[in-house]
Amino acid sequence: MKHILKLHVNGEDYEILTEIHKTLLEVLREDLGLTGTKRGCDLGTCGACTVLIDGKPSLSCLTLAAAVRDKKITTIEGLAKDGELHPLQKAFAEKGAIQCGFCTPGMILTSKAFLDENLKPKEEEVKKAISGNLCRCTGYVKIVEAVLSVSEKQ
Amino acid sequence: MHKLNVVGKRSPMLDALEKATGQARFTDDLSLPGMLFGKILRSPHPHAKILHVDLSGALKVKGVQGAISGKDIPRKKYGIVPMAKDEYALAIDKVRYIGDEVAAVAAASLDAAEEAISKIRVDYEVLPAVFDPLESMKPGAPVIHEEVPNNISASIRKEFGNVEKAFLESDFVFENDFETQAINHAPLEPHAALSTADHSGKVTLWSSTQIPFFLRRNLATTLDIPESKVRVIKPKVGGGFGQKIDLYAKDFCAAFFAMKMKKPVKFVYEREEMFTSTRQRHPFRIRLKTGMKKDGTIHAQQFRAIADGGAYNSTAPLMITLACYFIMLPYRLENLLFEGYHVYTNKPVGGAMRGHGIPQVRFAVEAQLDMISEKMGIDPLEIRLKNAFLAGEPHPAKLLVQSCGFSDTLKKAAEGIGWAEKRGKLPFGRGVGLAGASFPSGVSNMSHISSGAVVKIERDGSITLLTGAADIGQGAETVISQIAAEELGVLLEDIRITAADTEITPLDPGTFGSGVTLRAGNAARMAASEARGKLLEAAAEKMEADIKDLEIRDRRVFSKENPERGMSFQEAVKVYQYSDRPMPIVGTGSYMPPAKEPTTLLKEDGNFSPAYSFMTQAAEVQVDTATGKITVLNMVAAHDCGRAINPMLVEGQLEGSVVGGMGQALYEDVMTEKGQVLNPSFLDYGIPTAMEAPSINSVEVETDDPEGPFGAKESGEGTQLAPAPAIINAIYDAIGVRFNILPVTPEKVLEALQKKE
Amino acid sequence: MRLPQFEYVEPKTLKEASKMLASDKKTVVLAGGTDLLVNMKHRVIEPRRVINLKAIPKLDHITAGKDGLRIGALTTLHDIASSPLIQEQYPAVGQAAGEVGAYAHQAMGTLGGNLCQENRCRFYNQSPFWRGVRSPCYKAGGDLCHVVKKSGKCHSAYCGDMAPALIVLDAQVKVTGPDGERFFPLKKLYNQNGKKPLSLKTGEILKEVFIPPSSGKTLYLKWRLRDSLEFPILSLSLHMETDGKGQVKKARIVFSSVGEGPVEAVSAEKMLKGKLLDERMIEKVSEQAVKEISPMRTSIHSPAYKRKMAAILVRQALEELRNAE
Ligand SMILES: Cc1cc2nc3c(=O)[nH]c(=O)nc-3n(C[C@H](O)[C@H](O)[C@H](O)COP(=O)(O)OP(=O)(O)OC[C@H]3O[C@@H](n4cnc5c(N)ncnc54)[C@H](O)[C@@H]3O)c2cc1C
Ligand code: SF4
Repeated sequence: MKHILKLHVNGEDYEILTEIHKTLLEVLREDLGLTGTKRGCDLGTCGACTVLIDGKPSLSCLTLAAAVRDKKITTIEGLAKDGELHPLQKAFAEKGAIQCGFCTPGMILTSKAFLDENLKPKEEEVKKAISGNLCRCTGYVKIVEAVLSVSEKQ
Repeated sequence: MHKLNVVGKRSPMLDALEKATGQARFTDDLSLPGMLFGKILRSPHPHAKILHVDLSGALKVKGVQGAISGKDIPRKKYGIVPMAKDEYALAIDKVRYIGDEVAAVAAASLDAAEEAISKIRVDYEVLPAVFDPLESMKPGAPVIHEEVPNNISASIRKEFGNVEKAFLESDFVFENDFETQAINHAPLEPHAALSTADHSGKVTLWSSTQIPFFLRRNLATTLDIPESKVRVIKPKVGGGFGQKIDLYAKDFCAAFFAMKMKKPVKFVYEREEMFTSTRQRHPFRIRLKTGMKKDGTIHAQQFRAIADGGAYNSTAPLMITLACYFIMLPYRLENLLFEGYHVYTNKPVGGAMRGHGIPQVRFAVEAQLDMISEKMGIDPLEIRLKNAFLAGEPHPAKLLVQSCGFSDTLKKAAEGIGWAEKRGKLPFGRGVGLAGASFPSGVSNMSHISSGAVVKIERDGSITLLTGAADIGQGAETVISQIAAEELGVLLEDIRITAADTEITPLDPGTFGSGVTLRAGNAARMAASEARGKLLEAAAEKMEADIKDLEIRDRRVFSKENPERGMSFQEAVKVYQYSDRPMPIVGTGSYMPPAKEPTTLLKEDGNFSPAYSFMTQAAEVQVDTATGKITVLNMVAAHDCGRAINPMLVEGQLEGSVVGGMGQALYEDVMTEKGQVLNPSFLDYGIPTAMEAPSINSVEVETDDPEGPFGAKESGEGTQLAPAPAIINAIYDAIGVRFNILPVTPEKVLEALQKKE
Repeated sequence: MRLPQFEYVEPKTLKEASKMLASDKKTVVLAGGTDLLVNMKHRVIEPRRVINLKAIPKLDHITAGKDGLRIGALTTLHDIASSPLIQEQYPAVGQAAGEVGAYAHQAMGTLGGNLCQENRCRFYNQSPFWRGVRSPCYKAGGDLCHVVKKSGKCHSAYCGDMAPALIVLDAQVKVTGPDGERFFPLKKLYNQNGKKPLSLKTGEILKEVFIPPSSGKTLYLKWRLRDSLEFPILSLSLHMETDGKGQVKKARIVFSSVGEGPVEAVSAEKMLKGKLLDERMIEKVSEQAVKEISPMRTSIHSPAYKRKMAAILVRQALEELRNAE
């Protein structure tokens, strides 16, 4: 069944006609063309599809698009502000925290939500925060370094 | 070597920001107008004859535009090793494991495709199945492939020296059994393929592949069209680790439907399919007998290795051969008898995975070496140092080892973990261990093993670099660009690279066997050197200098003798143009590993690889003796990669490998019951999370290999060989229990501790 | 994996929601969706209609009062884990919430959803393809059980983290039904029936959880292979009140993942009452507690292993609380 869906994504308002049973992940990727949000398992176990909903990390593969109509959705495409990359984006690139890059969008967004809540986290807290975002390339070492480096600058 | 400017720098990956901003496009991120979505129907039986496939139900689903089964496709088998082809893109007569491909649909939406799959009716005649490789080898076992009546689809029996005699000469003989488990590569990006075909019958395929040129060949074969009618393009690939080496049904079906329907078609696998129906690291059963001399010399080894291959071959002959030859490094071993078997079972299929057959045997050797050192009263580090192979030594299997920093890696790893202070001296529950290994840097002289590159110097002084190499996230494009930039004397940012498009970029074998940096790096260096030569010729003429006296560095051409004299790189390009030389300035490189007694090893001995990397991993673990839980606290990865073209990326390789190896030691196991994968999800299949990641100290040992570009060898796969045995050896140091079967779960630790009491 | 098709509604009041729920057997309520949507993708739940509770106001709160603490059913686990109030008064509850799945599951998952999550089984939490290898089991609408072949019923396990920690604290729940509200002990929410694990009546929706003031100490111990993401292999919560001289006045031990609902080790609790917590007692109690659980082969971990770990966890919990005295 189709319905008209209004979404607020990355500061922009969208109005689309789409199926009601679609997840936010499907709507972002298929209807809005925001393919930065990745589909790694589709069952909420890998974290690659993480977006921010009202600032909180959310698995878009387990979110009904229809259920987040009134929310502020931020995807990786919306993280840079006025052309200026978010410090996490820079740090991930510079510190070698990105290899294949498939987990990166979710990883960065989770880290952002976390740093917004925790100004000066300990290493163990960073690890816990990103532990739902699986990465098979980096062994997490440089990811944790990158997140900590941003928190130090905060 | 003169001072290096670009090589050796910790440059971020060229595409890091693209990936950090969501701009990077992976196969599933691509779509084309009018695109259809595909799905595959898989077998619910481990072994069955296909009697009839009824597609009519699927075709009735609204939005479905096509449905095919095995009888609709060309009867063309494929397989990554030409001599071991045994698979159809869709099963034709029978299915051989749960998850085998039976039929496929293409529809206007994924919803329709999913529904259609559920409407296909298949009549099977269920056959007896066999799940244990030892059972499968017995006479009378169900035959999985008619051409292989004994189910042993690849085997090797190889003797070096005189093993019988050597065992008689040995002062001590040790014999142990080992077992390793099935490991899934678990790249984060699921396999995907998007294809389109034009009216001339030409097919373009975007695929999550790590070997585009092999894929082109296999796809052409299975579609039964000329290679010239196939173009394979590799978008960003989200990790492969060997799993993206094979052609899969999704590639074939996307292309087949695209040809048939003249519409773009996309297939993307579910995570579950990644576990059940792609590839995995072969589980091994190993019996290892080792003869030792009193002084600690490893005198003889006898190996019997049985690899559970699952339902198809994939890389079988190569895998079992690698397992054999890499017993012969990193230790000096004059006498080896190796018997290896790749055995079919009705289970998920084994394939190349980071280390390719070697992690399994290395586990056995390194674990046993610790038992030996204990019994003989020699320090495990000492025994390894004593037997460590050295550069330039004649090798009994004729491997040509021109650079070897193994001893250094042993010493550095031991130092890093605090061996002298800790080994045998930590409180109960805490321990350290180490293990060594060696790996090839690519393969010498096998068909399809050369790599090409093209370097163009553009009018504005920027560089266009074409390489066939397939970056799957390891940073190959960055490293190859660094090599080209170094050779040309420009900056990394001057290079624009286009890679892995079979129509545009020159041939390359792809990402496997850890050969990319050496192979594609050398090709790029040759191409850069040729272009550089052309430019310098013009500059030399203008400067009235001897071309040999000229050097380029930091975008500046200058005289070595009188560095004040010179011009900018861009000026040199102008000079070239205005001297009526033909534009564009192009250099090409075609590199093939040198043919000093080269071999695939499949038939005869010889040198397998242009260079060999060496590594030692050391681990410190904590075992909670109340619960059996093991925590890896620290790992040291000392690695002789020849030269780190980009130390940050090398570290990344080491760190990722270590955590993967730790997964193999402690957490990961693709469990099956009657051929069905019990844990096809990240909830039940335990790839380590950030919580498990230990602190990792990477130590690079540079040996400047004469064959590698700027001395570089490999760092991709070798490091995953030794973490598991290092951890297992550390567990022994911690609690005095030996584990010969992987993975070591808390449950097993608890049981062992209780037995010990 | 796509979701099946359904109708989607957003009632504005709980009452309205409850009426809608009561009107149709194939209607379900949705909170954070982290459990429901997985089951829907797996096609083990295929609702005709989905009611989103999140649009209903005032269900998301943590409120302290003289008589105890109230937590709205739609409060996220993340809010619970990071609430200073909870950290101070009921740290074990906060800790349990902080150990559910990972960060995003906690930010999305709600208390109500956690308590009402479906039971789990290795034959049930699978895709249609996976389940298609066998005939459907009771829980998936068939007529046999793959775990215990001839038992005639479903043995799936409650695997949530929150129930044990709340039950040991005597938490009560308030539910809204089409005909009004009910208030009863959380423990009674579970009817130890694998196929239909909750005792909610037609149309009833969990509204609020109430935790009475508590003296004594509470602990939550979760056992899993990796320290994140996973459901418990098993877990337990222990609550203990002592007289200050080491004698136990009251003890409660509740497990997760070892039965068709949260399992309380009632006899073990009785054993503790009025006793001094010495080594022998700890041994006896942990042996007794293990006798009271009934793990089946519903996960990839064997029942024998779960029993072994249960004894270890009980012992650890008792020792830890004794030492905290
Ligand atoms: C990868 C992964 C890991 C997980 N790990 C854990 C874990 O470690 N521990 C754990 O406990 N859970 C875990 N979960 C399950 C789930 O995330 C949590 O249980 C979560 O708290 C469920 O809350 P929810 O709001 O998302 O529930 P929903 O999915 O919205 O609902 C769950 C069920 O409860 C019903 N329901 C929801 N709210 C109410 C209500 N107010 N009244 C009546 N019925 C209601 C729904 O109809 C549905 O049947 C995990 C899930 C995933 C995907
Ligand atoms: S316990 Fe039995 S009936 Fe229940 S879900 Fe598992 S297999 Fe099905």
